[in-house]
Amino acid sequence: MSATTGDMTRSVAEARRRWLRMHGWTIGVWVLLAVLLAWYATLIPAFGSFTIASIAKNSLQTVYLAISQGVVVIVGGIDLGAGAMMVLANSISARLMDGQGFGMSMVISAAVLAGAALLNGFVGWIIVRSRVPDIIVTLATLFVFSGVALMILPSPGGGASGGFRAMFTGSAGGVGTNYWPSLAALVIPLAAVSVWLRRSPRGLALYAVGSDVNAAYLSGVNTARARITAYAIGGAFAALAGLAITAITANGDPRFTNAANGTLNSVAAVVLGGIALTGGVGSVIGAVAAGVILFILNPILTAMSIDPNTAQVIRGVLIVAVMMTAGLLEVRRRRTE
Amino acid sequence: MTDEPALLRARGIAKRYGSVVALRSVDLTVEPGEIHALLGANGAGKSTLVKVLAGVIRADAGSIELSGEPIHPRKPADALRSGLATVFQDPALIPDLTIERNLRLTGVEPARVREGLEGMGLGGLDFDAIAKEVPLPILRVLDLARALVHDPQLLMLDEITAALPADLAERVFIAMFERRDRGRSVLFITHRLAEVLRVCTRATILRDGRDVAAIVPGEGGEGRLVEAMLGEVAATAAEASRAEPRIAEERVVVEARDLTSRDYLRGVSLRLRAGEILGLVALEGQGQDRLFDVLAGDRPSDGGELLVGGTPVRPRSPYDAIARGVVLIPSDRAQALLPQRSVRENLASALYNRVGRWFSLLRDEERRVDGVIDRLTIDTRAQRQARRLSGGNQQKLAVGRWLAAGFEALLCFDPTRGIDIHTKDQIYGLLRELSAEGAAILYYTSELAEIPLICDRVLVMYDGRIVHEQDAASADEAMLLGAAHGLQGVGS
Repeated sequence: MSATTGDMTRSVAEARRRWLRMHGWTIGVWVLLAVLLAWYATLIPAFGSFTIASIAKNSLQTVYLAISQGVVVIVGGIDLGAGAMMVLANSISARLMDGQGFGMSMVISAAVLAGAALLNGFVGWIIVRSRVPDIIVTLATLFVFSGVALMILPSPGGGASGGFRAMFTGSAGGVGTNYWPSLAALVIPLAAVSVWLRRSPRGLALYAVGSDVNAAYLSGVNTARARITAYAIGGAFAALAGLAITAITANGDPRFTNAANGTLNSVAAVVLGGIALTGGVGSVIGAVAAGVILFILNPILTAMSIDPNTAQVIRGVLIVAVMMTAGLLEVRRRRTE
Repeated sequence: MTDEPALLRARGIAKRYGSVVALRSVDLTVEPGEIHALLGANGAGKSTLVKVLAGVIRADAGSIELSGEPIHPRKPADALRSGLATVFQDPALIPDLTIERNLRLTGVEPARVREGLEGMGLGGLDFDAIAKEVPLPILRVLDLARALVHDPQLLMLDEITAALPADLAERVFIAMFERRDRGRSVLFITHRLAEVLRVCTRATILRDGRDVAAIVPGEGGEGRLVEAMLGEVAATAAEASRAEPRIAEERVVVEARDLTSRDYLRGVSLRLRAGEILGLVALEGQGQDRLFDVLAGDRPSDGGELLVGGTPVRPRSPYDAIARGVVLIPSDRAQALLPQRSVRENLASALYNRVGRWFSLLRDEERRVDGVIDRLTIDTRAQRQARRLSGGNQQKLAVGRWLAAGFEALLCFDPTRGIDIHTKDQIYGLLRELSAEGAAILYYTSELAEIPLICDRVLVMYDGRIVHEQDAASADEAMLLGAAHGLQGVGS
């Protein structure tokens, strides 16, 4: 009997190896982010609270989008409409908040978030019901949401109240040295969603469905609800990204490029952050670090006075380099086992 | 008996998938406190019936009563609530989640599962392990322990012992007896008739989507069960003519000298000769998986020598091994086949490496594939896609690929796992035919009774070493089991 059970009994070394293997990617991405931040600090003359505030608030958009996409990819889907949902939320909120006070802005925000969750939940329901692949349905929503955004706000414009802007940026003017609100806006939603995903049965159901939908169904998981929930949460986070843009720029920008870029960056962040596109593997924490990395490359390359076109190339190369390194490490691990 | 309602009474259950009728009309009655066997050849409808009872799929017609109350399970959770727990044929554990999260996902208290596992000798199982890295037999037992936590009125076990080594199967039986003694019932699906005779009080037999007999296994023995399962078709199938002792050729096709691989192989030496079927027996986790991986080129060995046709080789990939004629038939058919491609394409897939002469190849391919289809009697009419074939036909397909391409040595890893006796018999016949034509076949099986049926010689592996070798004809199960448990001084 010992031969059957012996291999599976606890061993500290084995547990540590496994922990590293499970969380290695997330740790690696955060280390890469720390290195880039430290490097950036040496590149610019004054790295202080103003810079921290700037990085924190300006990375909010990619971070929220990364969470939005991450939740959907974990359940085994993909949401190409995430960027468009962001633009739609930005356009609606900038138009409605223009000239309103803080209280009204909060009501509008809550309505936008709830509406986005409902709308994208409906998209998830269509995917589950119609059995049309996620990528096709959300490709359609990318166009539909972008079009609606342009109908609501035909050209850039709108505004936001000072109090609302301070919630995301730390100051009524959108520019300042108080970085705590931005950091809180970054950490609190992230903590909430990742604890929910990893600890609650409903959150684990998302991983279960993404990992093996058949086994999940046989385990008694409501697979349709899990997928619809993922799209609803994804929609809410995409809308949160739109609200953040409204707060930071006090402006609505409905152009299609924003939507397309938003979606592509969200997919890049998810992949770089270690969430498997096949679903069921990875964490939003890693995706968030990747989102910040994708943003911070811009100021770093600017500080090094590198041409923005070259910067795009470097960004692409970085993604491939990270993926290849991870792949090679995995191959080596398999070989030694 | 007459006053007390049956625990489970299913009547007239029918289910069709498109034009395929899985269940025509099945009645099934399970009494309280019995271990009831559900038997039938592959495709008889056993798994479909279990899925209907468990709420995975909905029947087109029929009714289900539990203790006299009609139930209509629409999803697995419904069935569980009404007291029906199931261990399905495919493990219902999420591969990318840890065991602990798997349990939490289904709202089961890990500590209670641990208690159940302790009773089955797996108390030390690490719950932080990721499910896909846990060996399949352990997952099966874990699945069982999870189902037991609900203390179900009726526990349904769909081929749970198919992947289990003898020692773990024994623990499962003990758990089943425990249920019975407490007045709970078990519906037990298996292909191993010896198990039925041993543990089951009654058996319902399905054939072509109907229940054709309800039998008390003790009366009439294996022969009667087989007769009912197969109908008029050769009821002698189970009594398949024993492999006649043959003299293998002297030519050694594959030779291993002191192969080592981490902790899995601690020096394995064996000689596989042309024209013989060499059996391999081992309990779960004794290194047999790794041995097959190394021989098939899926993993390199750390030390020792591997010779194919007398030449030392170091295959770096299955491609290398295949190029030398050493090919693998895995137990998991899905691993070997292209499930969404047609039967013909699957048979031809092993030929795709030979790209030299395109046009002659195409004609040649056609001819070879036709030959194999004829020879294997694979039913190719309705089924376009390989995944729609029954398990037995899929396994024939897996062997057939190499027939089309040609090979020297066939490595069969538990090829009859979960296959009905009729198809098993065909596979035995095929393998014996191949070996008579000079093929060298290494045959690992988890079912000890197969060894004297098909093999010429048998090796027993224990703790990464070959510990025992003898003539298959003189091997009896007790002796092999003793050696597989690492007992000294058995056999020769």
